Amino acid sequence: MVKTENVTKHFRDQKKNLVKAVDGISLEAHPGQITGLLGVNGAGKTTLLRMLSTVIQPTSGRASVAGFDTVTDSEKVRASIGFMSNSTALYGRLTAQEVITYFGSLYGLDGDQLKARTSQVIEVLNIGPFAYRLCDKLSTGQKQRVSIARTILHDPPVLFFDEPTAGLDVVSSQVVMEFIEGVRAEGKTVIYCTHIMSEVERLCDKVAVIHDGRIQGEGSVDSLKTQTGETSLEKAFLRLVGFQSTEVAHVPSA
Amino acid sequence: MSPALKVGIKEWKEMMRDKRVRSGAFVMPLVLVFMFVALFGFMLSAVTDVKAQRVHVVKTDSPLVAPLKKAFDIKDVGTVAEGVKMVRDGKARLVLEFQASKGGQYTVLAHYDPKEQTGEVAFRMVQGVFSKINEEALRAFLKSQKLPANAGQAIDFKAAPVVVGDAKSASDLIVSLLPYLLVLFAFTGGLAIASDLVAGEKEKNTLETLLITPIQRSQIVLGKTGALALVCFASSLSGLLGFVICSFAKIKGTEMIFKDGLGVSPVGIGVIILLMLPLVLFFASILIAVSAYAKNTREAQTYLGLLNLVVVLPAVFSQVIGLTDLGKQQWINLVPILNTATNIRSVLLGKPEIVPILMTVGVSLVIALIAGWIAVKLFLREEVLTRI
Repeated sequence: MVKTENVTKHFRDQKKNLVKAVDGISLEAHPGQITGLLGVNGAGKTTLLRMLSTVIQPTSGRASVAGFDTVTDSEKVRASIGFMSNSTALYGRLTAQEVITYFGSLYGLDGDQLKARTSQVIEVLNIGPFAYRLCDKLSTGQKQRVSIARTILHDPPVLFFDEPTAGLDVVSSQVVMEFIEGVRAEGKTVIYCTHIMSEVERLCDKVAVIHDGRIQGEGSVDSLKTQTGETSLEKAFLRLVGFQSTEVAHVPSA
Repeated sequence: MSPALKVGIKEWKEMMRDKRVRSGAFVMPLVLVFMFVALFGFMLSAVTDVKAQRVHVVKTDSPLVAPLKKAFDIKDVGTVAEGVKMVRDGKARLVLEFQASKGGQYTVLAHYDPKEQTGEVAFRMVQGVFSKINEEALRAFLKSQKLPANAGQAIDFKAAPVVVGDAKSASDLIVSLLPYLLVLFAFTGGLAIASDLVAGEKEKNTLETLLITPIQRSQIVLGKTGALALVCFASSLSGLLGFVICSFAKIKGTEMIFKDGLGVSPVGIGVIILLMLPLVLFFASILIAVSAYAKNTREAQTYLGLLNLVVVLPAVFSQVIGLTDLGKQQWINLVPILNTATNIRSVLLGKPEIVPILMTVGVSLVIALIAGWIAVKLFLREEVLTRI
């Protein structure tokens, strides 16, 4: 389970102005559910995930992951999570198998347990044909499969996904989404950050619409539509974030 | 296995697969030393190989030409004007003009361009041959007068060397060059890859996946620093290996440089390694700290370029420290980098001293720890670590 209580994160920008990247977010994500964080770029989704994964600390408020406080029990939090993002890369000069083994060992797996688990994820994700190839030489889809392997190798109860399909082709995106549906079925707690409406509609049991660092609306896809009186999630989202259509002057044709 | 060791092994593996590390830290020091020694040998031959010196002589029947012919490659020229023109045109280094003997003394004019080093060298060599003839003539005269051979000298000045430390020592070139190169290679060996280790990871977005593993950030710093220190050390050893190979290679002209091999005992090598170990740890820590502070590899490389100058300066000074008394003063052992180079110099001279060596190792360890502490602090600052 993941829980945040009035979490904030404030930064100073280059001009020393205060930026409230996350401004009092409280939410809960439960096992066996996918909780979507939906927002435009810069809404605060990634900052929230970074706080939950202990890369950065909240300015105020509390957050817990798998029952551990993200500040006082950060090591236990990190041992309980898997994090996958399309922006995170692999070590180009290591083979796919070496990357998986390396991260497995950092997550405390060793000896026969590490070997067995590595073989298992390599088989399940069909990494075998390119397991001994350097990551620099892998295709985007192959890299994504190695990223998934790295994320689930230690069998964490909580998984974070930060726009995992961004930049992927249809087939690779499908692999990722099927994988996420699979981990939900295994009873894991999943937080899924995206700005792609179709993915939210397909995957998420619950959605939190984030804008300017705050939750603007929360609930199932259907309840968001009902709350806003809109027929589509896209329109409901735009209403929640306060988007107003502007008239664009037409350039006269020559 | 400790998490730091796991990180270190992974970094080492990655670095060994990087061409920049293989060439910059392993091949280049070896090749550079070999090339430098070979070049120095060639230059040394040029200035010491008397037979290779071509000297022009204006046609003469002077008996002095015979001893010159034994020593030099003598070529005749027709007239003085012709010889001077050859000097002006760069076709002759030195033209000797023998004048008529006055009262048993010969006058020889040496025409050469003093701005040309080859002319100057040839002049000194001929001067040496004539000095010997003068000394022999004086000795013969004194003998004929039944006087001792040194009767013509008001002062009989003789060297009486005092052996300090080991009787054997490295040659002057090795003493002035090796400490500088060992220190420099230790730094430059790690320089090429340092920016990749943290700044590069920020840029490629691999750092965050490492940060969300359960290991402590200090362990990440330790692992990366250890691996980089090993590369720095290997680079330095590669330079040393270059000198060892040269000492066995018998390159023409280097006989004087390697007359006693490298001139360092196995214990001396051990002391050099002892001096280098904390220094490479310091270099690795400071390189990691800079890499952690920088937003990206480009910014890191800018900082590292400036840092390079800070390292080069004391290293260069170590080459000429023997010309001053500074090397013997204890406070030098408190100056990072310079202290290591100065103590390596003492080892090469065959007179290492335990107190300065221990002071140097201690100072290097302390600054390595400070640099390591800074690197860890930077790793704990999220605004430094997450900015790109």
